[in-house]
Amino acid sequence: MLRLEEAGLCTAPALDAFSGDVVPGELLAIVGPNGAGKTTLLTLLAGLRLPDSGRLTLDAIDLRDWTPQSLASRRAIVAQRDVPNFAWRVRDLVTLGGTPSVARLERTLESMQLTAFSERVVTELSGGESQRVMIARALCQLAPRPEDATRPMAGGILLLDEPTSALDIGQQQRLMRLLARCARDDGLAIVCVLHDLNLAARYAHRVWLLKAGRRVAAGTPENVLTAERVANAFDAELTLLDTADGGERVLLLDR
Amino acid sequence: MTVAMLADPIRRASRRRRRVLTALALLLVLALVIAALTGAVGLSPRVLLGEMPAPMDAYVWWQLRLPRLLAATLIGAVLAASGTAMQGLFRNPLADPTLLGVASGAGLAVAVWIVLLGGMGGQFGLYGQFVAGFLGALFITVVVFTLGSRAPEGGSLTTLLLAGLVLNTLAGAAGGLLAFIANDQQLRQLSLWGMGTLAHSLWPGVIAALIVMPPTLWVLARSSHDLDLLQLGELTAFGAGLNVIRMRRGVVIATALGVGLSVALVGIIGFIGLLVPHTLRLWLGPGHRLLMPASMLGGALLLVAADTLARTLASPAEIPVGLLTSIVGGSYFLWLLLRRRFH
Repeated sequence: MLRLEEAGLCTAPALDAFSGDVVPGELLAIVGPNGAGKTTLLTLLAGLRLPDSGRLTLDAIDLRDWTPQSLASRRAIVAQRDVPNFAWRVRDLVTLGGTPSVARLERTLESMQLTAFSERVVTELSGGESQRVMIARALCQLAPRPEDATRPMAGGILLLDEPTSALDIGQQQRLMRLLARCARDDGLAIVCVLHDLNLAARYAHRVWLLKAGRRVAAGTPENVLTAERVANAFDAELTLLDTADGGERVLLLDR
Repeated sequence: MTVAMLADPIRRASRRRRRVLTALALLLVLALVIAALTGAVGLSPRVLLGEMPAPMDAYVWWQLRLPRLLAATLIGAVLAASGTAMQGLFRNPLADPTLLGVASGAGLAVAVWIVLLGGMGGQFGLYGQFVAGFLGALFITVVVFTLGSRAPEGGSLTTLLLAGLVLNTLAGAAGGLLAFIANDQQLRQLSLWGMGTLAHSLWPGVIAALIVMPPTLWVLARSSHDLDLLQLGELTAFGAGLNVIRMRRGVVIATALGVGLSVALVGIIGFIGLLVPHTLRLWLGPGHRLLMPASMLGGALLLVAADTLARTLASPAEIPVGLLTSIVGGSYFLWLLLRRRFH
């Protein structure tokens, strides 16, 4: 489990002291207006920036004490729109950074709906397809419990920076479903910076709402994404609509 | 699924790697043999076995041909490997030491050394030239890199090429200025060195190359896997366990050392660093574990072949090999640009 204990950054972009856990089996969405520090928080969780105050631990061990290699087998990153410029074959790209068995590689390609693309060249794929390739690569990198063949990724951490930003709504839906399923079925802890609050409300198990380097709310989507909080954080006017069956809510900007 | 089946793709890849590298190495040996025997003075194949049938053979072989072949092999390999490394580092298929101004920077530093600092003759002068070339190349690489990494997403190719254009122009103008203020003897030294020719490959320079270049090549070859990871982007590569800063520093120093020394030795020989990795990538794919060693062999092969042509086309006169590679490489680059635009 990845745990923030009053972890903060003082150099720009600064982050207030954060506390909280990134829990296996859950999809955690980080939302907030531009410049709120979402990506900075992600780089902090990734260990790229080390906290100036407080602590960041993985399995109760300070992140500084992990070697890059053992950390790489526990957590993987999918950065924003970072598809290679060179003509990699999907199958070769996916194995960069990890050495999955052939069986696991095939399973991962299948779970990301990439089996038909495995011999294709990544520069020729659509935005949604190449995004899935990058996620499949990150999944293949993870080997938190090498001995457990049935759930090889359980306990692994996947960090994604706006994975849906270049996708149309159909691709967004397929991707978010895949991520939610990875968290639930494979026991991954998934942290996703999201721009679209409705996606966060619909698919995330928990939401952190950020504003100006501070977390203003954390909890389930229903508790965090209230009309008042969101309007405040984003400086926007909006209405919260309940769906007909009453189970879900939609945020709607006022005209 | 059996163990044999699991291992199969890995084994297939390493078999292919062995086959490709063996084929390139054999081609290189063949080119070296042909290059050894042809030239203004032809040599009998028996020379390669240690016999010297004609009276001048020993001199031609030991003092002219052998050092020249060694220089062509090493410099070709280093230029192509540096091109491969820079393309990997910038994540950009058009990066090349000549195009980005690294070679001009090294050339300018060498010219400054010759003209302003007196450029002492003899061994010491030669090594001063190497150091100047290395520092010039290092400085420009760092400048280009800073410019390139500051550019916003997507604009970096334009920024890089513009930076290269500006640096090339500046270096060209400064070089012209230096030639203007140089005295006759310095001018002669400048023009002998600056044409991009292997005609002046003598043992002192070749020995320096033999000491510096193999470790440079080794560092670049060892960076292959890291360069692969870097293609994922810096953040993702960091997440996969790569120490981006340390790796980048190693590659930048190695390429500056290789390119700087090459330029100090033989002047600017353009486009090998663009041509070789580009062509090989189309054939072998972008993975550096195969591309990097293949580029080294391919670069050596290309420069040995081009130098042999340069020596024989207008024999007994010589065409500077830098002119040949620039004509071929420039046309190829133009074709690439046109194809990109109209694809």
